[in-house]
Amino acid sequence: MAQRYDAVIIGGGHNGLTTAAYLAKAGWKTLVLEKRRILGGATTSDEIVPGYTFSVLSYVVSLLRPEIIRDLELAKHGLEILPLDGTFTPLHGDYLWRRDDHAATMREIRRWSATDADAYEEYGQLMADMARFIKPILGMVPPDPTSIDPRDWLGVLGLGRDFARLPERQQAAFLGLMTMSAADFLDQWFETEPLKATMSASGIIGTFLGVRSPGTAYVLLHHYMGEIDGAFRAWGFQKGGTGAISYAIASAARALGVEIRTEAGVSRVTLTPSGDRATGVVLESGEEIAANVVVSSADVRRTFLQFLEPGILPEDFEAQVRRFKFRGSSGKVNLALDALPTFTTNPGGTEYLRGAVSISPSLEHMERAYDDAKYGRFSRRPYVDIVFPSLVDPSVAPPGKHVMSCFVQYAPYNLAEGALDWDNQKEAFGNVVIDLVSEFAPNLKDVIVEKHVVSPLDMERDWGLTEGNIFHGELSLEQLFFSRPIPGWARYRTPIRDYWMCGSSTHPGGGIMGANGRLAALQLLKARKTKVA
Amino acid sequence: MSSQPSASFDAIVVGGGHNGLVAGAYLAKAGLRTLVLEKRATLGGTLETRPLADGKCAPGLFHTVGRLRPSVARELGLRGHGLKLVAPEVRAFAPQPDGRAVTLWADAARTADELRAWSRADGAAWVEFDRHVRALAAFIASLNDATPPATSGGSVGDAITGLLLGRAFKKLSKDDARQLLRILPMAIADFVAESFESDPVRAAIAMRAVAFTALGSWSMGTTAALLADSAGNDGGAAGQTVYAMGGPGALADALAAAARGFGAEIRTGAEVLGVTTADGRVTGVTLASGEEIAAPIVASGLDPKRTLLGLLPPLELGPNLRWRAGNIRQPGRVARVNLGLSTLPVFPAAGEPEEASRRLRGRILVGATGIDDMERAFDASKYGRVSEALLLEATIPTLVDPSLAPDGGHVMSVIAQYVPYRLADGTWDADAREALGDRVVARLESVAPGISALVTAREVLTPVDLEAEYGLTGGHPYHQEPSLDAWFAWRPLVGHARYRMPVAGLYLVGPGAHPGGGVTGAPAQNAVKEILADRKRR
Repeated sequence: MAQRYDAVIIGGGHNGLTTAAYLAKAGWKTLVLEKRRILGGATTSDEIVPGYTFSVLSYVVSLLRPEIIRDLELAKHGLEILPLDGTFTPLHGDYLWRRDDHAATMREIRRWSATDADAYEEYGQLMADMARFIKPILGMVPPDPTSIDPRDWLGVLGLGRDFARLPERQQAAFLGLMTMSAADFLDQWFETEPLKATMSASGIIGTFLGVRSPGTAYVLLHHYMGEIDGAFRAWGFQKGGTGAISYAIASAARALGVEIRTEAGVSRVTLTPSGDRATGVVLESGEEIAANVVVSSADVRRTFLQFLEPGILPEDFEAQVRRFKFRGSSGKVNLALDALPTFTTNPGGTEYLRGAVSISPSLEHMERAYDDAKYGRFSRRPYVDIVFPSLVDPSVAPPGKHVMSCFVQYAPYNLAEGALDWDNQKEAFGNVVIDLVSEFAPNLKDVIVEKHVVSPLDMERDWGLTEGNIFHGELSLEQLFFSRPIPGWARYRTPIRDYWMCGSSTHPGGGIMGANGRLAALQLLKARKTKVA
Repeated sequence: MSSQPSASFDAIVVGGGHNGLVAGAYLAKAGLRTLVLEKRATLGGTLETRPLADGKCAPGLFHTVGRLRPSVARELGLRGHGLKLVAPEVRAFAPQPDGRAVTLWADAARTADELRAWSRADGAAWVEFDRHVRALAAFIASLNDATPPATSGGSVGDAITGLLLGRAFKKLSKDDARQLLRILPMAIADFVAESFESDPVRAAIAMRAVAFTALGSWSMGTTAALLADSAGNDGGAAGQTVYAMGGPGALADALAAAARGFGAEIRTGAEVLGVTTADGRVTGVTLASGEEIAAPIVASGLDPKRTLLGLLPPLELGPNLRWRAGNIRQPGRVARVNLGLSTLPVFPAAGEPEEASRRLRGRILVGATGIDDMERAFDASKYGRVSEALLLEATIPTLVDPSLAPDGGHVMSVIAQYVPYRLADGTWDADAREALGDRVVARLESVAPGISALVTAREVLTPVDLEAEYGLTGGHPYHQEPSLDAWFAWRPLVGHARYRMPVAGLYLVGPGAHPGGGVTGAPAQNAVKEILADRKRR
């Protein structure tokens, strides 16, 4: 054994890198081990077609925690978010186009419904208020519900006190957001189908739930959380592709002294002979690395069932790990284009393609897409969220050419019995998406240079996302806060001493937030009584 | 033109359904001059024994009464007023297409024994599952007993409630306590899958979690619905099945007799048009006849939307609360079919006649063949259609109470789940109603071949009929969807979960209030405590 580290981080995704940077900042000798040849995990970019850089998996950013940007000085290390302007919902014979120009959006909604236009203003205000109220949760370490240590409960009690002070109307909205379906929640406000459908979409992204499933309203808030940071717009693209976010964090981490090794997959975590304490890791190459603390940013199933020998964990704990729900539900279709496609009914110019293009004509369209997935097949008419990053950031495609990223739901990881496996139906899946978008943009097929389809199985094999879940586990109410990932184990620790978690399976869940990585690092430093620099 | 107030009372109860009667009885018992006003000619509301065309009698909406709160029955002396309850040893029987069946018994060991035929693991899992459900349901039951805390401000009373709840929470084992917060929001499909591997076993348990709701087996919050149903009954994971002898109407009769016994006055055929107010306080009610009756307290057994938007003068609510009340969700998805039968139908999966007559005494679950099958029946209703494969909960009350068929034969009462209030194509006219009846009988035929030839009378009540007959807005038997967005301290609305409606003196005592729907008497019993506390304070 060559040298001993204070901490070894398994996984060089945005959370692993964030944890490493914070530990190094406190003076810890830290090593990050990434299995793939490039850093970033699911927060990654790759030049899959020569000249075209794809944000292969995650494609927009909104929730990256401002304290991380500040603490790690990410702007200095290349973080640059370009705005994603609005959402265009194409329809047969019409469209709905909301954008950052508030007056224009109001005019557009009024064209559909005067009531909805009035409600839209009120709704926006209420949601901004709600987001401000709920945001502290993202920075909070969940207590064990059976804990009687008042210090564990300070954050939650504060939130309870704040809740009691909210006006009744906001209390009602908050409880509705926590429990209702996105469709029911929006039905209270709006009548315009494409508006409700497009707004509801944010409630289902990455989950195995439909817009009419209770519990999907909560995610509607996320659209408003990014917005109120001031420094940030609601959603944006990272210049040069999503991977550049990871590279910025990696660069910050290196500057703080973190050592990062790629193509260094971990095969298992080493323990003391009694098996109750982690001592380091063994790489797939056989190399052993000793560390005082091992932190896994992999998802909870890999963290406990892949890196540990069977029989090490308490039986009950292991059973709970096994039943943690993944159920990936989405796929990606990345297209290299010769030129931009033209949507049949459009407001003119290419301005409307600078934001998201959402194939979400009605709530019924959305819900039926889910019905297909429930029984184990990909949606015959899916929900598709399209962006053209090259319009905003020409550096990602050759001059005059474009990249088109289609996030597609639903693509269930678990297919019905008797169905073809994903490798054999990926082609058909890609074609369904292209055919559907072509209904609204008939010249799409003429401008495609190359297509690259990512199935949930690919996500699992190539990025280590168990069952292709982009959030390291379903973001449903029963797997949040106190209960994420396991009830009683929401504080980044594990039953094995000196083995910690920092990935998206932990509170507050998935998305390019970095909050998990930061909170884990702070908890670890606190437990080790290390002063935070 | 309105006449002078004819009489004055301390309290008026609007609606003589079972919660209205419970409220009337408790108010009178506390010494208040109490008047119960019922629009219909009969009392009991949905708790009714209805005549069929062939001379037999059948239940109105609810056909079992096992969730009636024991303290209500005891404190109101219902047995003395003729109430007789019978609980068969079988709780639920779910025949399967292959001729087998899942049977859930009151006795957990017996259920476990029989489940072994489906899977050894499932048989082994039952006893622990039953214990787990009972432990969690006991916690829910203590929530149900309490008036929910206020969500704004905070008072001494709330602190005490908190303490009591904390104590109930502490009674749970550490593991149950941690698990409760995880389990409450879960979809029932996931909850049963954690313990059982056979799909029919999962489905037979899950049926109770979706009953009367517009939720599917994969919908979040359905586990909470199952626990709510298990709270306050002795059935554990098998659920309750208890009949009132003489039909559900006999319970209504006993409640009315109890109320009268305490001195309450009850008037039928008396429709309340509105609540009168002065200076932000209730002053009484106005009847359809034009009569005005004064009282400082009005307790409404109507659903919350009807109470807030129908009874109150619009100005009393204000735009914000009007908007919220207008958004109360009442998506009725249940229809009722009652059949008079010449003889007992044959369910091959129930075994030989003697054995069958024992197994058929509980709830007969048709369509509980698998979680996804249940979900498909739900899918159709989302789009305003009625599935070919409806879920049915049937009972044959005449197996335990032959008095319902005085000339012999049997009665079958069917609750059909996932029949939408609003149809995508057409309306609930006579043709649609009969087509639904045919569909239900055809569905029964799949597990009881030959049953259609036995039918001597048939009555079909669609969700629209239930609304017209029983005043259930949207046709919802629980007055408001029992989902997590209308639960505990935010049922029916945040700020109004403590039975007090926005005008002083007006209270909600029906199942739109905590702890919700079903034949329990619980919301009324809880509400009267608050009414009396307020009265003392004045």
